[in-house]
Amino acid sequence: MNTLKRIGFALLAPVIAVLIAMLATSIVILASGSDSSAGDFWSVILAKPENRIMVNIINQTSMIYLSAVAAAIGFRMGLFNIGVEGQYTLASYTAATFAGAALLPGAINVFASLVIAMAVGAIWAGIAGILRTTRGVSEVISTIMLNSIAAILVGYLLDQYGEHGGNQVRTKALHASSQVPGWVPFEDRDGAIWTLGLLAVAVGIGFWVLLNKTRFGFDLRATGLSQTAAVASGIKVNRMVLVSMLLSGAVAGLIWMPAYFGSAYTYGTTFQAGLGFTGIAVALLGRNQPVGMIFGAVLFAFLSAQSNSLVFQTDISPSVVQITQGVAVLAVVIAYELVRRYRIRLEQRSVARARTAPAQEVAA
Amino acid sequence: MRRTTKFAAVVAASLMALTACGSDSDGGSDGGSASGGSSTDASADVCKTADGSGPKIGLAYDVGGRGDQSFNDSAYAGVAKAVEDFDATCLEGEAQDGEAESAREDRLRQMADAGATAVIGVGFAYSDAVNAVAPDYPDVAFGVVDGYDPDDKANDNVAYFSFAANESSFLVGVAAAETTKSKQVGFVGGVHNDLIKSFEAGYTAGVHAVDPSIKVDIAYIEESDLSGFGDPAGGKTAAAGEFDKGADVVYHASGASGSGVFDAAVEAGDGNWAIGVDSDQYLTATADQQPHILTSALKRVDVASYDFIKSVNDGSPNTGYVTYDLKNDGVGYSTSGGFLDSIQSDIDGYADKIKSGDIKVPTAP
Amino acid sequence: MSAAAADSVSADAVHAPEVRLSGIGKSFPGVIANHDVDVTIRPATVHALIGENGAGKSTLMKILYGVQKPDEGTIEVDGTQHSFRSPTDAIAVGIGMVFQHFMLADNLTALENAVLGAERLHGIGDKARAEFESISSRYGFGLRPDVLVETLGVADRQRLEILKVLYRGAQVIILDEPTAVLVPQEVDALFANLRDLRSHGHSVLFISHKLDEVLAIADDITVMRRGTTVGEADPKTATKRELAELMVGSELPSPETSESTVTDVVQLSLRDLTLTDEAGRDLLSDITLDIHRGEILGIAGVEGNGQAELVETVMGMRRPTAGRIFLGDEDVTTWDTRRLRESGVGYIPEDRHRHGLLLDSPLWENRILGHQTRPPSVKGPWINRSGARKDTRRIVEEYDVRTPGIDTVARALSGGNQQKLIIGREMSGDPVLLIASHPTRGVDVGAQAAIWSHIKRARHDGLAVLLISADLDELIGLSDRIEVILRGRMVGTFDPARVTPQDLGAAMTGGNA
Repeated sequence: MNTLKRIGFALLAPVIAVLIAMLATSIVILASGSDSSAGDFWSVILAKPENRIMVNIINQTSMIYLSAVAAAIGFRMGLFNIGVEGQYTLASYTAATFAGAALLPGAINVFASLVIAMAVGAIWAGIAGILRTTRGVSEVISTIMLNSIAAILVGYLLDQYGEHGGNQVRTKALHASSQVPGWVPFEDRDGAIWTLGLLAVAVGIGFWVLLNKTRFGFDLRATGLSQTAAVASGIKVNRMVLVSMLLSGAVAGLIWMPAYFGSAYTYGTTFQAGLGFTGIAVALLGRNQPVGMIFGAVLFAFLSAQSNSLVFQTDISPSVVQITQGVAVLAVVIAYELVRRYRIRLEQRSVARARTAPAQEVAA
Repeated sequence: MRRTTKFAAVVAASLMALTACGSDSDGGSDGGSASGGSSTDASADVCKTADGSGPKIGLAYDVGGRGDQSFNDSAYAGVAKAVEDFDATCLEGEAQDGEAESAREDRLRQMADAGATAVIGVGFAYSDAVNAVAPDYPDVAFGVVDGYDPDDKANDNVAYFSFAANESSFLVGVAAAETTKSKQVGFVGGVHNDLIKSFEAGYTAGVHAVDPSIKVDIAYIEESDLSGFGDPAGGKTAAAGEFDKGADVVYHASGASGSGVFDAAVEAGDGNWAIGVDSDQYLTATADQQPHILTSALKRVDVASYDFIKSVNDGSPNTGYVTYDLKNDGVGYSTSGGFLDSIQSDIDGYADKIKSGDIKVPTAP
Repeated sequence: MSAAAADSVSADAVHAPEVRLSGIGKSFPGVIANHDVDVTIRPATVHALIGENGAGKSTLMKILYGVQKPDEGTIEVDGTQHSFRSPTDAIAVGIGMVFQHFMLADNLTALENAVLGAERLHGIGDKARAEFESISSRYGFGLRPDVLVETLGVADRQRLEILKVLYRGAQVIILDEPTAVLVPQEVDALFANLRDLRSHGHSVLFISHKLDEVLAIADDITVMRRGTTVGEADPKTATKRELAELMVGSELPSPETSESTVTDVVQLSLRDLTLTDEAGRDLLSDITLDIHRGEILGIAGVEGNGQAELVETVMGMRRPTAGRIFLGDEDVTTWDTRRLRESGVGYIPEDRHRHGLLLDSPLWENRILGHQTRPPSVKGPWINRSGARKDTRRIVEEYDVRTPGIDTVARALSGGNQQKLIIGREMSGDPVLLIASHPTRGVDVGAQAAIWSHIKRARHDGLAVLLISADLDELIGLSDRIEVILRGRMVGTFDPARVTPQDLGAAMTGGNA
């Protein structure tokens, strides 16, 4: 199969899925009997984003992408880490507390905080990994539970040790010397593209290299494709489970760090919850592929950021984009399976051709 | 095969995450359509029809949005009155569950860019966003309900409305104490934060002022996630638990989740009461909920919003912290339904003592 | 015909229709799967359809069962022409099929499986149960309706599949390689069932490439090669050799080993190896054996007597409860699979789909599997893509893997070619010991011969081989020594030069060993 064809196949399913999602959204808008038409909806959503929205899309993309990679590391070996949400919540809180305490100066503080965020995310995910390898507890169940525990734990710790002011609690604000705001592409008021968004680039490249170029990545993929074959080939599956949970959690720990060091500077009401679940959806949409997930993350960030304008220009609730996102994920799963089957059938034909070709010569 | 099943579970989980947000934000309609506040219902929406020449008001709702039968609706009521009185126009926007901080900022900026001269963020979650946006729009007056200036730099075009919710909660606590037969009452908070804890503290103090032996059950829907204000199912579970344990009056401070608390009271049967919050929830409740709504602790967000717009209209916008308490009628309790007729004088007696300073209501449990 | 008709006809006999396929053709883009196929299945006969893998048997069956539509040709049932759009249409005229891979729900009972999807026929209550029991007893299936399918063995599952088809009213039953999964004794039992079916008036279309079996059971034989029917044979007169020549167009290969290459250097040595399961039952008991360099040790046994456990223990996938394993002079009892593989143990697993391949990965990645730590697949912690690809090309060439390229996914290859790839891979890197589980199972005759010759050549070069097979001819032909395993114990050693399949069969079933 040549490269062009392969790229075509890789794009086929997501394109079909996005089209179905757009169609479904339009039908929902029509069916809702809203004063605005589906055309109004798409003209708002597909309008050229304003500068500050452009910045927001890029910033959100970086965080969503990190979350998607965290989920994908598990998915690629058939491990369903639903706990990205809890892992990054706890990691964000811990790192923000540490960074706010300013025990270390400037950039060293940033670096140390990132390490702590990764460590906390890894430990939280590791609990699920250990439960799975030693007691056989399904990671789906344990990570969902750990999500709840993390939320409650953070709420409690914040309440106990946070700074109370007005009606809010937050961690101690980050000292100016450790702030990493970023690059301002337009005017100041349009905001900055967070420097630590580059973490997403680094993690994306790292994930690609790990998967495709290293022995570990091969073992990871092999375990995901066939655990039985992996065992027979000498892969220690339990060890892989634990290591990939730790890796997944470590990446999860980084999710909110661009926002923290870039503009929030404290963990409080500005903490953005829900990215962990968005990441799962984007990982599915991007087929757990480093490149595919970029498109997924951009799509999600784009739709969410553009939806804000809906209430001002149409009579459609911004929640409608969640239908687009949801249907896209569902449709992509189905479309991938169909494309996969079609592709196998094509390959089997080409195998059959290879086998019968000499025969036809003989016959002729 | 096993893999496929697992895969399906994951897809379902991620869709749940997505759709859960969708249902939450329209939680208000869950309690029946009596509120008439669904955001697609254009006829009831004064912001869609107003076209006066007065101030242009931007109204940014918190999670739950208009139709929450609680403080978002209350803010809307104040704006609606202002639209009428000052020939104003208005714009609305609504927070999504789990949205980015930048989305909140963007919402405020869109309003300011669209020409709003007064922008009200409904809910303390707008504090940071307003703080970030306000300096870029020196000619726009910003107001934040329950707001708080997060940094040391004072903003001279931002007003923070703070409410002595502990005082109104104290009064409904008195009402609860004088109504309960089981000597056990309950409290359901939306999110376990300082704001809601002051409701809890006032309520408990009010109950115990009447009879220190009455037991007060406390429950919170969420520990820190703001979705606790838009989760009727969670509210119902929490309240039902308290009714089951023997409480017969439950006070909620949980925004749009409150409709679930009312449902729980209905299911608990006659003689079981719920107390509403922020606005007079008797008026927006469904017919079968009404007989169970003893009273509501009023937090006059409508008054605050109206005052703020008035000050903008007068050319001298309020700035800084503006406190609303019993003394200036910024908080209070409702009597719709007539369930308090026999004890109203007692409650007013406590109110006078609070106004005079004889009773100091705590703000933290 | 006369033999079949002479069978007694019982009261509840059915009258299977005559099924005639004429001029069937089916092509996929670029490949002709079937052309000019003519087969006639006479009523109340067992009709064997034989041919190598890839000869077009499966396509033909799918056409007859309505899974695929033919491009040309006709299907006549009792003289009436039919065009099947789906299996439902085929069932409606009494044609049913049992696939090679069973389609049963493990967590349901036998009765529930039979009824599932056919609730309209006899409901789901007592009538259904009565019908189930009546079919089971009529043909001697001995299936209890309430037994959970997950507790059934392979043979019982197969009977349940046949029962399912009968329950739906099939008179003509297509069986796709039914004996591939059975041991000799089970094959005999199946054949008894088939004869019962025939005597009750059913027709059976029996697909196979095992010539002994075909000769034993069939009334008619049709041979396919390269997508078309190339001849018919009368089982009473035809010989295996003739059939084989029709099938492959050449002489049949034989597994026989020429001269002994056994050395006196012990390569693998097991000492009192014991394995117990969680419940404390012995899966393997006190197994002691030696394999020398250049020696093939065959293990004969009825499936499920500890062969799989023995292989997994030697491969480090299970830890023995007691006893020691030595590879050469080294005690490897506690080594894990990877370390064993690194020290030169090759492994051809019993189930290549589950244990031997990443079906959805390209061939060159499958080349890496099991060799993740050894060149040419890797360089340090890095995957050596070009090295792996180059070596995959070598394997494809040397082992005659028929594939359009090394980027083709493994799933697309036929079973024989998949197996040749695995063997090529496991022979890479100069192994000292090869654990081969059923190396030619489900593989066509051509590939079988190739696999045998590869194993023989490696043995000649000093490889020690532990061979597990259910094919007694293969065991006798290849092995230098045969050990029989029964209930986790070694119960006898045989010299393949003198032993007969009958002797082995007796030892395997615990007769007079």
